[in-house]
Amino acid sequence: MTCPEADDRLDDYVDGALGEGEFQEVELHLASCEACREQERRTRSILAQARALPREVAPARDLWAGIAGRIEAGPRARPGWWLPAGLAAAAVLAAGLAVSVLRDGGPGTNAPPGDPPGLAPAAYEEALGGAERDYERAATALMGALQERRDRLSPETIASVERNLEVMDRALAEVRAALERDPGNKELTRMLVSTHRKKVDTLRRVVRLSTPLQGAGDGEEG
Amino acid sequence: MEAQIAGAGAIGGGLIQARIDADRRAEEGRLVRLAQSGDLSAFERLYRENERKVFALCLRLSSDAALAEELTQDVFVRAWQKLGSFRGESAFSSWLYPLTVNVALSERRTRRRRTARFFTTDDLTPFDRPPEKPAGGPEAGFDLEKAMAALPPGARAVFVLHDVEGYKHGEIAGLLGMAVGTSKAQLHRARKLLREALES
Repeated sequence: MTCPEADDRLDDYVDGALGEGEFQEVELHLASCEACREQERRTRSILAQARALPREVAPARDLWAGIAGRIEAGPRARPGWWLPAGLAAAAVLAAGLAVSVLRDGGPGTNAPPGDPPGLAPAAYEEALGGAERDYERAATALMGALQERRDRLSPETIASVERNLEVMDRALAEVRAALERDPGNKELTRMLVSTHRKKVDTLRRVVRLSTPLQGAGDGEEG
Repeated sequence: MEAQIAGAGAIGGGLIQARIDADRRAEEGRLVRLAQSGDLSAFERLYRENERKVFALCLRLSSDAALAEELTQDVFVRAWQKLGSFRGESAFSSWLYPLTVNVALSERRTRRRRTARFFTTDDLTPFDRPPEKPAGGPEAGFDLEKAMAALPPGARAVFVLHDVEGYKHGEIAGLLGMAVGTSKAQLHRARKLLREALES
């Protein structure tokens, strides 16, 4: 074994993480190499000092008042009660999207999909693209909130949510591809918006499920 | 006979310690539940139990006493906000320390973009109880805290977590969002630089 090879293995050697064969090789090298033995000795000395460092250090001043003040100034004086601003915005957005985004001729509930009175095809596509972007923004914000709450959900729930989202994302991609081949198709447009809405609704339900104390919803959904 | 008594004493001592630990966990669980229901005074007691460990970790990760105070406050405000996600399956500290690392290092990343302050100060006066040093020899004057503060941030974080706090490479990789190999490489670099500091 060369010195560089011994150096590469020195950490695992002193940490007891080498297999028997490599351990013996390093031992043999150290027995015959004063320079590497010195590196080993220094490493062990540093580790001994590191282990002896105090694990507790008192701050120079009492920090509690600042902590309590910030907690009490928060949106809720109760832990885990509020949702991020982005999520609240997304929830409001999602609730209103179906009727508002394309009401001027797009496939919202008040306007039959693919029946865009008064809109030229280009304007219609633009409106549809705008609706998609809004849904995607809402979904992104909700995904972020969900990631933060991931540890409150069971692995089964997470797996189920991920499966559902995957199916919906695949469906969205397929409908988009079909719409590219047949722009303005009512049924496809309806499916696209409906799938977006389902995705956002699913995310909202899961985020709500993972948020303790339903007071979290206060004032966020109108 | 003496050996038997000593053995019995050791067993008895172990049982007493186990009972004390169980009582402590039960009390901690009670405080967590109270805090989760909005009892700030219960949360203050959890803070008092853990502030010195959290501050020590923040100080070693930041090498800046004033910033470590801010980070400690951030950690506990964040802990209050996230307390609903703590299920009590482990000790409160086991939940709190990874949160501390996350807060300290995300602050580090944010500040790195804005200013170099985080890494350029070395106010370590709060470490008022230096570790015992070997008597005599070239290492007698070696101050590990200061040498750690001079490490590059990535290497320092891994050294603190691995060699001071006792985290495994797999845990560090998860906490810092890096590969296990990167954690090992950073530790190798940190130890090498510390050896050089020890030598000089």
